[in-house]
Amino acid sequence: MKSVEELKKFYRETLYVSLLPLEKQRKKIVNVVTIAAVVIGVLVLGVVLFILGSRSGAGGANIIFILIPLIIGGIVFGIIYYFTAKGYKDQFKYGIIEKLVKFFDPSLIYGADSCIQSSEYMQSRIFPKQPDRYKGEDYIGGKLDKTAIEFSEIHSEYKTESTDSKGNRHTTWHTIFKGIFFIADFNKLFDGVTVVLPDTAERMFGFIGKMMQEWNFTRGKLIKLEDPEFEKEFAVYGDNQVTARYILSTSLMERIMEFKKKTGRPLHMSFVQSKVYIALSYDKNFFEPKIFNTLLDFNMVLEYYNDLSLFIGIVEDLNLNNRIWTKE
Amino acid sequence: MKYLVVGLGVLLVIVVLIFNFLVSKRNQMKNAFATVDALLKKRYDLIPNLVEAVKGYVKHEGSLLTEIARLRSEAMSGQKSGKEKEGIDSQMGNTLKSIMAVSENYPDLKASNNFIHLQKTLNEVEEQISAGRRAYNASVNDYNNAVMMFPANLLAGLFGFKAGDYFSITEKDRENVNVGEQLKK
Repeated sequence: MKSVEELKKFYRETLYVSLLPLEKQRKKIVNVVTIAAVVIGVLVLGVVLFILGSRSGAGGANIIFILIPLIIGGIVFGIIYYFTAKGYKDQFKYGIIEKLVKFFDPSLIYGADSCIQSSEYMQSRIFPKQPDRYKGEDYIGGKLDKTAIEFSEIHSEYKTESTDSKGNRHTTWHTIFKGIFFIADFNKLFDGVTVVLPDTAERMFGFIGKMMQEWNFTRGKLIKLEDPEFEKEFAVYGDNQVTARYILSTSLMERIMEFKKKTGRPLHMSFVQSKVYIALSYDKNFFEPKIFNTLLDFNMVLEYYNDLSLFIGIVEDLNLNNRIWTKE
Repeated sequence: MKYLVVGLGVLLVIVVLIFNFLVSKRNQMKNAFATVDALLKKRYDLIPNLVEAVKGYVKHEGSLLTEIARLRSEAMSGQKSGKEKEGIDSQMGNTLKSIMAVSENYPDLKASNNFIHLQKTLNEVEEQISAGRRAYNASVNDYNNAVMMFPANLLAGLFGFKAGDYFSITEKDRENVNVGEQLKK
């Protein structure tokens, strides 16, 4: 894993130069957006005042006449902002994020608009519910030493439809998962499915919760592991007691606990056909530009670096390059 | 009279349920034990290949190879109690570790593809055996809980369900492999 010292060197020698034109563009966009805001603001204000003035004799102003220009102004501003910032967003992603990804390992590839395939997502069996809407971005994939990895942001949702008393249909979207979805080649060969889920039942209800887990038939058999700390955090289900323990060796359980502490986020994992799937829930949208902050600040780069190293570092955190078993 | 019959009926159903529960837990434990046995068999099958691969290189530690061959035939011959088996298997594990450690001294051997492959297979089998043992211990824990907790413990005593034994780590296992001592043999 690259250190912060190496990042500083990379920043000084390589990244800084390519940031300069981007920063120029960012300033231009800020100018355009500011001017647009001012112009639209003045226009809207003028229209509102005009309406207020022309209707003052006709029994007072109707609030609708004030709202309409405000809404139109807002929409026009939104469109201008979207189109000026869109090009910049792509340039930012390929100008900075891709370079940072390559800085970690030149073999890694980056796709701003690609994501983990939904078939892979379903294959993991972490979230059995079929999503009605599935999208994602910021795909990173490649091979780190012996371990092939890929991850991206994913947002999966399902919808519910209801009809109110007037007969209007309402569609509501519910999030199944939002965050980083990570897939890596596991260092042991195995068949079947083992799923590691956050253990809400046991934490909330203790012994009773544990009994409730045993009756979760949709997930396969409950695997009771001997590490009490791990058991408190996670509930493990699998189709084979021995395979689950072959995968979740005592050292891997410790590493997962450490990783969980490091991220501090809800962590779902599964092990399917010699691959490990990790779903880390986040509300944050990763690797996005901040238009109103300068690019020429090392701390900004450091933040993207920290996010990337958290995910790319999973290979080291879980010791996936340790290939002392038959899997090459 | 009617209540008595109903009461007895309910009691009988409870007894049958608890009995079946205990039987299923015991079978689970036996099944887990059989899995460990199957995994140990995998380890026995590897030994002749290992001896064959190492024989040509390891000149001074022939006794280790004889020892492992003896343990293998002992493990595979006849019926043994769980405890006896456990003893032999733990000795076998230690001897295998020693052979692997000794092999480090022979660069030609260490570099041979055959040996590298064997080493990996052995690591895998050992990891599986350890997983199998953990699974067995978990099922013993489950079964023992069932046997010892009220009210199943009343029936367990009546029908002769005895608490199961865990796989234990012997004192010898807890020590690290002493390569120097093994070499003197």
